[in-house]
Amino acid sequence: MIMGCNRGAPEPASNAVTALPWDSVLVLARGSTVTWRMWRGDPSINAFIDQWVAPRLVAQYGITLEVVPGQGPGIVNLLVTEREAGARGSTDLLWINGATFASLRREALLLGPWADRLPNAQYVDTASPIIARDFEQDPGGYESPWGQVEYALIYDNARVSSPPRNVTALGAWIDAHPGRFTHDQSFSGMTFLKILMYALAGGAERFQGGFDSLAYVAGRDSVMGWLTRHRASFWRGGATYPAGVAELHRLFANGEIDFSMSNNENEVITKVRQGILPVTARPLLLTDGMLANAHYLGISVNARNPAGAMVVADFLLSPEAQLEKLRPEVWADGSVLDVSRIPEPWRGRFMAQARDQHALSPESLRLHARPEVAPEYHERLTEDWRRMIRANAPR
Amino acid sequence: MISMPTVARRGLLPILLLSAFMPLAILMLVSVGRDWFFPALLPGTIDLTGWRTVLGSGARLRPALIASGVLAVATGVAAMVFGAFAGSAIASARGWRRVVGAGAAFLPVAAPPVAVATGLHATLLGAGLGSSIVGVFIAHLVPACGYTTLYFLGVFTVREGGFEDAARTLGAGVLDVIRRVTIPMMRRELLEAVLLGAIVSWGQVALTLVAGGGRVRTLPLEVMDYLMAGQDQLAATGSLLLAIPPLIAFGVLRLALRNVEMVLP
Amino acid sequence: MTRRWSGLAAFLVAAPVLVGVAYSLFASVGLRGGSGGFSAEPWTAAFADHRLVIGLAWSLWVAAIATAIASLAAILVATLFRSGTRSSGVARFLAVVPLPLPHVAAGVLGVLVLGQSGLLARGAFLAGWIDQPAAMPALIYDRWGIGLILVLAWKEFPFIALIAFSLLAGRGKSLEEAARTLGAHRWAIFRTVTWPVLWRGLAPAVVAVFAFVTGTYEATVLLAPSDPLALPLMTIERYTDIGVASRAEAHVLVLMGLLAGLGAVVLHEAVRAWDRPSA
Repeated sequence: MIMGCNRGAPEPASNAVTALPWDSVLVLARGSTVTWRMWRGDPSINAFIDQWVAPRLVAQYGITLEVVPGQGPGIVNLLVTEREAGARGSTDLLWINGATFASLRREALLLGPWADRLPNAQYVDTASPIIARDFEQDPGGYESPWGQVEYALIYDNARVSSPPRNVTALGAWIDAHPGRFTHDQSFSGMTFLKILMYALAGGAERFQGGFDSLAYVAGRDSVMGWLTRHRASFWRGGATYPAGVAELHRLFANGEIDFSMSNNENEVITKVRQGILPVTARPLLLTDGMLANAHYLGISVNARNPAGAMVVADFLLSPEAQLEKLRPEVWADGSVLDVSRIPEPWRGRFMAQARDQHALSPESLRLHARPEVAPEYHERLTEDWRRMIRANAPR
Repeated sequence: MISMPTVARRGLLPILLLSAFMPLAILMLVSVGRDWFFPALLPGTIDLTGWRTVLGSGARLRPALIASGVLAVATGVAAMVFGAFAGSAIASARGWRRVVGAGAAFLPVAAPPVAVATGLHATLLGAGLGSSIVGVFIAHLVPACGYTTLYFLGVFTVREGGFEDAARTLGAGVLDVIRRVTIPMMRRELLEAVLLGAIVSWGQVALTLVAGGGRVRTLPLEVMDYLMAGQDQLAATGSLLLAIPPLIAFGVLRLALRNVEMVLP
Repeated sequence: MTRRWSGLAAFLVAAPVLVGVAYSLFASVGLRGGSGGFSAEPWTAAFADHRLVIGLAWSLWVAAIATAIASLAAILVATLFRSGTRSSGVARFLAVVPLPLPHVAAGVLGVLVLGQSGLLARGAFLAGWIDQPAAMPALIYDRWGIGLILVLAWKEFPFIALIAFSLLAGRGKSLEEAARTLGAHRWAIFRTVTWPVLWRGLAPAVVAVFAFVTGTYEATVLLAPSDPLALPLMTIERYTDIGVASRAEAHVLVLMGLLAGLGAVVLHEAVRAWDRPSA
C-alpha cells in the first residue's frame, strides 16, 4: 500500500537499531530511559502505566519509563516543529492509530519497520481484520498493536428500560423523547456519524477498499438526511452540541440526556467505578454494527532511544501485560493476542479472566464489530457535518 | 439618614463575599464528592481520592505544583525587573516613539497565545531549549513582560522623577539612585509587578503546552487534562491548589507592606 | 536617564510576538508546519467561509460585554471602598480573591453553577420551580453567550479592580484631597478628578482584558455554543484537526485574532493621543 510521499528525509542512524538481533536490542536498552507520549486523561490508565508497567520495566529490563502527555494532532504538530528546528527528538514511543498514523507516515515521521521483529509479535491475532489493518492501512511494521476497543452507546437502565437496538429504532426513540439525545463534536461524536453511515448506506463493505468519493457522497447524504429528520428532537433542538465526550457524560449523568457514547465498550465500567457515571449505566450495541478499532505504538523518527522503545512495546505485547490491561478493575482494554497462540499458563488465565458483570460478552462484541475505513471518510464527514449541520443551527 | 453610597456598600459586601468564597466552597465540595448528580445539592458520597493524588503516595499533582510555583516566582521576578526598565524607558519617550513603545508593550498582551507559542517553540527548539522548563520560563516571560511593562508605563507616566533628579544632582551614580531612592520609594509597585507577572505565569495553559512540548507539567495543564477527560473531582482539586497559594501570597504581601500605603487588599 | 533605551525596550518586549507572527504568516501559506509548499488557498478558503466573520463578530460581542461589565463593577467597587476603614479593606480583599483562579477553573464553575443541571437548576428544582433540567433556562451553550459573558466578567473583574484600587490610592487620593481643600462637592470631585484618573489609568488594563478575552479558549470551550462558533474555538479546532493541511488555515485564524486584539490597542492609542496630544 502506498503511504504517500516520503520527501527524502534523511534516514536516521537509529534505523540501524531496528535491524539488530533482539539480544543486542536488549543490551542497548538496559539502563536507558524511554520517553512515551500518550493520552493521560484517565486515572485508571495512568495507574496501570505508572504503578504496574513502569516498575516491571525497571525490574525486568533496567528501563526507566518517562511518560509525557500528548495525543493525535499534538504529536504530529510537535514532530513537525522539531524537524523544522532541527532539534533532537523529545519522544521515543508514541500511542497512535488511524489518522494520526496516516499523518505521521505521510510526513515520514515514524521509524520502521520494527514491529514484526518483536518476540511477542508471534502471539498477535493477525487474523483479526480489526488488528491487521489500522483504518484500512497496513501498519507495515511501523506500529505495533497493543489494544482494541469497540464503540458502544451508554444508557441508564433506571431511566430507559428497553433501549432501541438499531439505528431505525433509535431514530423513532429520539422522536418519541424530544430533547433526550445528542452526540458530541469531537472524535467519538464523529465516529457515531460513521456508524450511522454504515447502517444507512449499505454497511461497512460499501466503504472499504480505500476512499471512494461516490460512495462517500451517497453515505454522507444518508447521514445528513437522518440527522436533519431527527435533529429537532435532539437535545436543545439540535442547535448546539457538547464539545467532547466529557461534556456528553456530564449531561448524561445529570439526566439532561438519556444516552452517552464511547469509543471503548468498557468505558462505562471504569467510569461507574470512578463515580462519574451512575451505577445503573450500561453499554449498548446497535445491531447495524459498531465500529471497532485497534490502537498501536509507534516510534518517532527522531527517537533518541529506539532500542528501549522496542523493548517497551514488546513488554506491552506480552501475555502478562495484555492480561493485566484486560482486567475490569485495571483498564478493561481489549487484548490483541490470539488466545490459541499463547503458551500456558497464560492461555488458561486468559480463558478464566473474570469480566465485569455488566460488560458485554466477547461473542456479542465480535458479532457487532465493523472495521474502520480509510481516514478520509472520517475527515470529510467531520468537515461536512460542521458545514451542513452544526453551522445551520435552527433558530 | 443613611447616604446612598453607604447603602450601596452594604449591598455590595455580601455580593463580594459570595463572589470570593462560593466558588472555592463549590470546588471544595466537588474535590471530595462522588456520585453527585442532578438534583442533589450535596454529593452522594464523600471520597478523598482527589486529595490523595495531591498528598498521598505517588502524588501526581505534587511535581506539577512545584513546577508551577518555581515558574511563577521566577517569571514574576524577571518580568518585574524587565518591566520596570522597559516601562520607564517607554514612559520617558515622547511623541511617536512613545506610541510605538506602548503599542509594542501591548503586543504580547493582545496576541492570542497560539500566535506566540508555535513560532516561539520552533525558535526555542533551534536554540536547544525546546520542551524544557527553561523554554517554558522564556515563553511565560513574553506575556508577563507585556503586562509588567504596561503596568510600569502607567506608573512612570504619572510619577515625577524629582527625587532621583535631586539625588543625581547631589552626585549619586545611576545604580546608587536605583538602589537608594527608586527601590525604597517604589516598594509597593515593584511587589505588585512581581505578583502580576507571577499570576500570568501561574495560569498559563497554551504557552506551557506548546513550549514545554508536553514534558513540562504545570498545574493548569493537569487541570485541563482532567477536565477534558471528565475527571471533575481531580480537576476541582487541582483548581483549589491553584487558588490557595496566591491567596497566601496576598497575605504575605499584605504583611510585608504594612508600613507602606495600603492599596493591596 | 533611560530615554534612549525606549526603542530597545519596545523591541525586546515585542520581538517574541513578531517571531510568532512571522511563523504564523509563513505557516498560513504552507511554508511552515508540514509538507506542502506555497499556497494562498488557506487565506481564500478562510475568507470564503462566512463562519469566520460570524465567529469573529460573536467573540467580539462576548469580549465587549464581559469587559464592560467587569470594568463598571471594578470602578463601582473601587470608588465605594477606597477609604482606609477596616470594612473597605475587607471589601478590597474579597474583590481580588478570584484573581489567581485559572480560567479553566472559572469555566468549570460556570458549568457546575449555571448549567441546566447545575447548582442553580438544582436549587430551582428543590424549590419546585422546575421539574427537569430542560425546564431551566439555558445559560450555557446558549446563542448569546450569557453564561460565558457572566463567567468572563466575574473572572476579569478582580484584575481591573486591583488596578483601580492602585490608581485611587496613589495619584487619585492626592488630587481629590486638593479638590476637597478647594471646596468641591463629592459629585464634582468624582466627575472632575476621580473619573478622569480612573479612566486614563484603567484604559490599558481594559484594552488588555478585551484583547485577552477575545482570544481566550479555556472558558469558551466549556461554555460557548457550537453555533455561532467562537473564533478561538474555530482556531483550535483547525489547529488540532487530523489533516496537516487545516493547520495552515488555523494560522490564518490566529492572525485574525491578533488583528482583533490589535484593533483595540490602536483605538486606545488613538484616543489617548487625542485626549492628551502632548504626551
